[in-house]
Amino acid sequence: MKIKNYRTFWILLSIVFLAIPGVNYGVYGIVSAATSGGKGGGAPIINPFGFPDGWHTICYTSAMLFIMQAILIITLTTNEFSFKTHRQNIIDGWSRSAFIGVKLIGVLLLSVLSTLVVGLTVLGFGYFSGKTGAHVSIWLGSRFLFFYFVQVISYSMIAFVIAVLIKRSGLAIGLFLIYMIVEQVAMGLLTHFMHFTPAEYLPEETTDRLIPFPGIHLISEAEWEHSIPGHLIVAAIYLIIYCVATTRYFLRSDL
Amino acid sequence: MDVLRATGGTYAWFGEPPSEKQRRKIGTLLETPNFYHYLSGERNLRIAAAIKGRGMGDIPRVLDMVKLTERKDSKFSTYSLGMKQRLAIASCMLGNPEVLVFDEPTNGLDPVGIAETRETIRQLAREGKTIVLASHLLDEVEKVCTHVAILQRGQLLMAGDVREVLSNDDIVELGVANGLPDRLSELLAAWPGVRQIKPNEGLMQVFFKEGTTPDTGELNRFCFENGIVLNHLQLRKRSLESKFMEITKD
Repeated sequence: MKIKNYRTFWILLSIVFLAIPGVNYGVYGIVSAATSGGKGGGAPIINPFGFPDGWHTICYTSAMLFIMQAILIITLTTNEFSFKTHRQNIIDGWSRSAFIGVKLIGVLLLSVLSTLVVGLTVLGFGYFSGKTGAHVSIWLGSRFLFFYFVQVISYSMIAFVIAVLIKRSGLAIGLFLIYMIVEQVAMGLLTHFMHFTPAEYLPEETTDRLIPFPGIHLISEAEWEHSIPGHLIVAAIYLIIYCVATTRYFLRSDL
Repeated sequence: MDVLRATGGTYAWFGEPPSEKQRRKIGTLLETPNFYHYLSGERNLRIAAAIKGRGMGDIPRVLDMVKLTERKDSKFSTYSLGMKQRLAIASCMLGNPEVLVFDEPTNGLDPVGIAETRETIRQLAREGKTIVLASHLLDEVEKVCTHVAILQRGQLLMAGDVREVLSNDDIVELGVANGLPDRLSELLAAWPGVRQIKPNEGLMQVFFKEGTTPDTGELNRFCFENGIVLNHLQLRKRSLESKFMEITKD
């Protein structure tokens, strides 16, 4: 009801969901030009947008658009604080837990929707690009879609935590972007210069490692395969921490 | 209203512990109207009605009551301060609650908005609603309320009929020429309507209950006939603020 007539939300959401196939189409064009793959290209040696590699390629490319969904979540959340409607909703008869619960469900729904759009994009590109072998199942590699979901909900929850704590839209978006950069720099310094490998389990990095740069299977697929359960468990722990922390904070703070 | 986390103490609504269920039965306006700026007045009321568990059928009535029917489809962001406040009151009235809580309801309003809001509150009171109004504007309390309670640091200092608690008592200031202030206190204590006598900067201040202020000439003659010569005699009106300061001073 709150967002049904919120034009800015629908415009942002459309941009987010159109950007997923749009950006992938752009990359597809570049890759097609660089290889013999693509529509009507027969049976290419490298077909990153066909089955099964399309799952990996498109999930990786789409995950780079997380920033747009994060901005959407930050805007929706901080709106409540700016308009003080979070307070009014409680005064009018919602419990604090119901309010924060609805927000968490909103983050989950957006992440599920985004995952569905990515899934449809993979199927669409796969349909036009074909398979790398006649007997290859189109679902081979679809686990990347699950990894995409884990990654996008993790980024979304980081954005949500920052929005709940900071409460101001511009500041929260700025801090989110700074955190993304700072973690990457810190991770680089810790792993490359100090050989501190646990740094790969930092909130952003642990989900990034679920979908490595396409082509990783050519160099260290076994190592990556071995690391998946650990990263999934750590990502799940982070998600629980985000949920519990935001809920406890909202339940205990003055509105 | 579960807006602030209480550090201590208890309270009840309708004889029951506070809960979201109780809050749905109360219309509350805390300082400023809080609505979604991008939605129309009516759509904002739809959200409030849904949260309160009320039907949408009451929305036209409350909009009509605060005279916002014509602007119901305009975005909240286009409303004037007075209209925003009236929409907040309309939201409070959804479901026709018996109890309303208004905290500083005229904050930030222009004189017209203040007058409109006060009249709406008085109208609701005439309809038999119980209205709890919190305000630092004593003039507003005096004009709108029937009863008043003064709280300081969580302690109830005084409560009762607003005309008694915040009455604009008259003060007579007296200066004694022949050095007998104690005798004057004793003498005036028996005067009908005297509520309090206290020294103030070399003078005696005598507080009279509302409607019992004596004629100063008569008071002067009374003192003189009892052996007290006055060199200062002045009738002053006490402000509400000074009354409030007197009640709340440590």
